[in-house]
Amino acid sequence: MNENEIQLKIQSLVDGELTGREAKEWRSRLETDAGLKELHARLTAMRGLMTGAELPRTLPESGDFHWSQISKAIEREERQAKRLARPASGAKRLLRWMVPMAGAACLLLLLTLQQTTQPELGISLGSDHELELSIDDLDVMTFNTGDDAMSVVWLDYSIDLQQDEVDLWLD
Amino acid sequence: MQAFEELVSRHRDRIYMRAYSIMRNETLAVDLSQNAWVKAWQRLEQFHGEASFPTWLGRIVTNLCLDELRRQKRARTDSIEAMEETTGPVENRMEMETVDPFEGLGREELRERIDAALAKLSDKHRTVIVLYEFEQLEYREIAEKMGTSVGTVMSRLFYARKRMASLLKEILKRDGLIE
Repeated sequence: MNENEIQLKIQSLVDGELTGREAKEWRSRLETDAGLKELHARLTAMRGLMTGAELPRTLPESGDFHWSQISKAIEREERQAKRLARPASGAKRLLRWMVPMAGAACLLLLLTLQQTTQPELGISLGSDHELELSIDDLDVMTFNTGDDAMSVVWLDYSIDLQQDEVDLWLD
Repeated sequence: MQAFEELVSRHRDRIYMRAYSIMRNETLAVDLSQNAWVKAWQRLEQFHGEASFPTWLGRIVTNLCLDELRRQKRARTDSIEAMEETTGPVENRMEMETVDPFEGLGREELRERIDAALAKLSDKHRTVIVLYEFEQLEYREIAEKMGTSVGTVMSRLFYARKRMASLLKEILKRDGLIE
C-alpha cells in the first residue's frame, strides 16, 4: 500500500467509511505510528471545523419577485406540456394520414410518368405497362406540428433501374 | 399552488445558499435555485417523504449545479486538467496560502473565513467538499452524482481538505486543533 492509499484509508476512518473490522485495524495502527496519528488528528480537526460551517446566504432578490419568476416558469412549462399532450382533432388526425398518403400517390404518379421517357435505357414504355414500386424503394419522413396545423412530407426514392430489372418488369 | 408558494418562501434562502456554495456565482445560483423549484413542482408526486423536503430539494438543486458545472467544463478550453498536462500536477505548483490570525473570531466570522477558503478551491474540489460536508452525502453517492469513481472522490476530498487546512492553518493552530 503506497503513501497515498494509506492517507485515503485514514480519511475513510475519520469519515466513518470503513467497515468495523477494518476501522479497528487502522485504529490500532494509529497507536504505533505517530505520522498517521497526526494525519488523523488534522483530518478530524478539519471535519470539526467544517461541521455546520456553510455560510448562510439570503436570496439577493425579493421573495415576491423570486416567486413570480418561479410561478411564471411553472405556468409556461405546464402550458407546453398540455400542448404536447393535447389529442389532435378529427380533421387533424385525418390530415396526418392523408397528407403523407397523398404525397406518396403523387410520387408514384410522377415516377410512372418519368419511367415512360427514360432515354438512357433506350426503352420506351407504353401506357399499358405498369410500374411497380415496393415500399422498400421509398423513404418517407413526415413532420407534424400541431401548433401550425402543418405536416411536411419528405419522399426520397432512388430506384436502381437496371436493364435486366426493367426487362423483367416488361415480362 | 399556495401551499407550494409557502414552501418556496420557507426554504428559498437555503436552496439559494446550496447553489451558491457550489457555483460561487450569484446570478447562476439564483437561476439554478429557480429551476430547482420548477423541477420540484413537476416532480412533487415523486416526493414520498423518505427524506425531508429541504433535503429532497437540496438534491435537486445539487444535481442542477453539477449539470451546469459539466456544461461549463465542456465549454472551457483552459481546464485545470489541460494545465496539469503541460505543467505537472496542480499540487506541485500550488503555493501554500495562509489566513492571517484573527483573535476572537466568532462563529459567523469563522464561517466567512471558511467560505473564502472554499472560494479558492477548484470547482471539482469545492463540489466534493460541499457535497460531503454540507449535503452530507456518502462517497458512493458523490461518485454517482459526479459520474466518477469512489477512489477519485476520496482523492479529491483529501486534496480539498489538505488545501483547506493550508488556507485555514492559522485558525486551526489558534484553536489548538493542530500543532
